[in-house]
Amino acid sequence: MTTPTASPTATAGSTAERRAPKSPPPGRRPRDGRSRIRRHLPTSPWLFAAPGLLVAGAFSLYPFLSTVANSFTDRRTLLPGRFVGLDNYREMLGDEMFWIGLRNSTLYVLGVVPALVVLPLLLALLVEKQIPGISFFRSAFYTPVVASIVVVGLIWVWLLDERGLVNAVLEAVGVGRVGFLSDQWLLLLSAMAVTVWKGLGYYMIIYLAALANVPRELHEAASVDGAGAVRRFLAVTLPAVRSTVVLVGALSSVAAFKVFSEVYLMAGPDGGPAGEDTTLVMLVQRTGTGLSGRVGYASAISVVVFVVTVALMLLVLRADRKEGA
Amino acid sequence: MPIPRRTARRAAAAAAALAVVLPLSACGGGSGGGGAADASGKVQGSITFQTWNLRANFKPYFTGLIAEFEKKYPGTEVKWIDQPAEGYADKLSADAAGGTLPDVVNVSPDLLAPLAKAGLALDLDKAAAQYEKEYLPGAWAGHRIPGMEGTYAFPWYLNTGPLFYNKRLFEEAGLDAERPPTTYDELFEQSLRIADESKGRIATLANIPTIEDFGRYGVPLMNEEGTAFTFNDAKGVELLTRYKELYEAKALDPQALTATSESAGKKFLTQSVAMNPGSALDLEKFRKDAPALYENIGITEQISSTGKDNMYVMGVMVNARTERAPAAVAFAHFVTDARHQMEFAKQVAIFPSTAGSLDDPYFTKEDGTDGTRVRIAAAKSLKTAVNYTPVLMSDQMKTELRNAVARALQGKESPEEALDNAVKACDRLLRQS
Repeated sequence: MTTPTASPTATAGSTAERRAPKSPPPGRRPRDGRSRIRRHLPTSPWLFAAPGLLVAGAFSLYPFLSTVANSFTDRRTLLPGRFVGLDNYREMLGDEMFWIGLRNSTLYVLGVVPALVVLPLLLALLVEKQIPGISFFRSAFYTPVVASIVVVGLIWVWLLDERGLVNAVLEAVGVGRVGFLSDQWLLLLSAMAVTVWKGLGYYMIIYLAALANVPRELHEAASVDGAGAVRRFLAVTLPAVRSTVVLVGALSSVAAFKVFSEVYLMAGPDGGPAGEDTTLVMLVQRTGTGLSGRVGYASAISVVVFVVTVALMLLVLRADRKEGA
Repeated sequence: MPIPRRTARRAAAAAAALAVVLPLSACGGGSGGGGAADASGKVQGSITFQTWNLRANFKPYFTGLIAEFEKKYPGTEVKWIDQPAEGYADKLSADAAGGTLPDVVNVSPDLLAPLAKAGLALDLDKAAAQYEKEYLPGAWAGHRIPGMEGTYAFPWYLNTGPLFYNKRLFEEAGLDAERPPTTYDELFEQSLRIADESKGRIATLANIPTIEDFGRYGVPLMNEEGTAFTFNDAKGVELLTRYKELYEAKALDPQALTATSESAGKKFLTQSVAMNPGSALDLEKFRKDAPALYENIGITEQISSTGKDNMYVMGVMVNARTERAPAAVAFAHFVTDARHQMEFAKQVAIFPSTAGSLDDPYFTKEDGTDGTRVRIAAAKSLKTAVNYTPVLMSDQMKTELRNAVARALQGKESPEEALDNAVKACDRLLRQS
């Protein structure tokens, strides 16, 4: 057995090296370059990670911790806060607008996520075929993804306006005008439709990548066994892209719960008639910004949004694990 | 050297504690009192001046103004910043919270109130009282904050405007287009008639009543001490009840509940609503963007039960924490003095807030054009006009009122209930501010 004071120049990988002291004895300088590297090795990962850690700390960790801290204060935009314990959370329980926001954000998840999980997969199946001109359709479906949400919102507002194109068509076919932008529920549904329309292309691309990795031989084998297109999709394609379906489900549910732009643009800054279409993130924006913003209360709502989104992610992942088991 | 696990844990805990403690101590200037910057001394040094969406149309005016100031006071330099109209309050709050508020800032009284309460606006009654007599008394008083001593901004330009209406739509409803409504009774009666004749296709108004409308209707908005809102009195309930009738008859646009003043203006441009408030600035817009509307445009006075029109007031405040107080005060006064306000008014349809300026022939002498007619009428009404928006009413409070009005119009609450709830919510926000 080698003694702990064995030479630091012992062969790499030997037991002697693994047990060697990490630095040379006092007064002795390392005798070759390999020792010098070994001496600095433990700090190196930290040095490499430092820029990333600093950025993450400054722009993610600090704001996050600061939001949590603010949620226990009555801080306002221009006035320093005092510690108020759980007062903000208590107030939230009795705040009608908070419950409206929670209801709408939850409805948004329920309305948007199934559509964003299923429709892009069907779309990807349609455009995965290598036929002439297919790239045009792929680009066309992807265009809404790259379009600015403000532009998209405005276009849909014009389309769905009481005197917009959609209502003109409905009136021409005898249905009459529909208050897409004046009825509380139709407004929320319209915003969901825009979210789905804008998100289709993005998730379609994710599915296309997954579909490209489905082994062709499995399809061929299934065909030989007499499986039709639907059977092949259910028995071969779906299991192969299951993890992607879960990923899309997780991403879209978090995005749907945090929805802001679509509803803000279509329902207006007040969140629709009497604020009935307000979502939680809109409430954070409305409460916490401006010169009289209630930063403490808005932070408390933000913490709730964070907890719910983490819970959503865990729920989806847990469902996936159960299914996979 | 490896970082021992215990040290790493301690460092992480310290960082977390710091992150928790820092926000509690961060920014926020304490409350009230206005700043104590000393405005006496030599006017020199570099200052920043922020305007509110003025660069696009008035760049030559402001560059000339700044050059003139720098020439008058050698050794000074003014850096001009302009912010877009959208999100101006958010930009101000970010600057104020971050300690980067410019030295001289264009504000409206409701934006000024929280800045003054946070001690970020210089008290001009202490620092520049000698200039008070140059301005209209009402305009100077418009920058006082209820519950606080002092005046916190130089009055700048004032704005008001007539009510525009679409003569063609009035005629189609069998109304006399040359006799537009002049009282609230006539307004409601004619609106119902237009809705009835057009079978609900043409609304007369596209906006739900705002706090200014309540003020013009004669509703007391706040108590004198500025400690509670009062717009839920019988007159307020009456106004809301009458608007509910309009909404149910489609005389108020169905999308009014979610409308902004911009979207309502657009509906008037496309001739789907018959009336819309505006300013002298709008006439040119109608001529350029909607010639068909311009041919039929009717102009009438604001409808008011108090005999006083609503006016919007702009001010120029000095940052109480400026390191160049003499230069900042001198520049804020320079921008708002009678000569420069008059020059600015001649470039754009706004009105000066300086004493005697509205008696200038530019605001009194007819030349037969619509533009001049609107300008003269507006200048005349400004002599008695009131800024109905209470300076202590924040954006959140305005949202509470709008939501309450929407609930009443939809029939979810009675007008009385809705206004009571709005007052309760606004009072709570007022106490928290």
